[in-house]
Amino acid sequence: MKTSFLKIVLPAFAIIMAVGLAFATEDSNSSYVGYIGTPSGVQQIQTDCPNSGENLCFEGIYQVYNNPELTDPKLKRF
Amino acid sequence: MKLLPIYKKAIIGTISILLLILFIYTASSKLLDLRLFELRLGRMPYIEPYAPFLSWSLPLLELVIAGLLLFPKLRIIGLYVSGILLTHFTIYIIAVLKFSDDIPCSCGGVLSALGWDDHIVFNAICMALVLTAIVLNKKQHKTSNV
Repeated sequence: MKTSFLKIVLPAFAIIMAVGLAFATEDSNSSYVGYIGTPSGVQQIQTDCPNSGENLCFEGIYQVYNNPELTDPKLKRF
Repeated sequence: MKLLPIYKKAIIGTISILLLILFIYTASSKLLDLRLFELRLGRMPYIEPYAPFLSWSLPLLELVIAGLLLFPKLRIIGLYVSGILLTHFTIYIIAVLKFSDDIPCSCGGVLSALGWDDHIVFNAICMALVLTAIVLNKKQHKTSNV
């Protein structure tokens, strides 16, 4: 009984917990909409920056903004 | 310090379960949005050209490692492969921090709460756990062979 718990139940519980955690934290894994000003005009892009934190968000060489008017800079934590 | 075989087995088992949770969690997080993971890899320095290949092969490798850790007979292979994967990932993060100006915003899942420096510490802890399990496993085999 003890052996079957350690060999079957515990790993099965661990797998279910890990998959459940992945679903539960899916939101923190999602991307956000941002805008960048390129020589060809303003472009809407997908970014990882959640707009919280103290650092300016960049996509390559372009700074990312929250609005298409490029007045509200998007922020990131790190 | 001498540990009884039963404690060695328990420590190896606990470490394997913790790594199993880590690898299944990270693989599931990536597989839930494979397109986004590929997009993120495409922004990472040095590995950008390999993003389409890595986007599916990394979660697959993580699931294979989790499978290896699940079975006691294959556990040692799983521990070695996870050690190699974690070492490569840590070296990559250090290289990005040292030699690249363009550091992407964050990594996925709940680990996005960590900065890159914290991520190195997290990886170092995981690598220490893997090393502990490998050493204990070797000692256990030596003891059982005597």
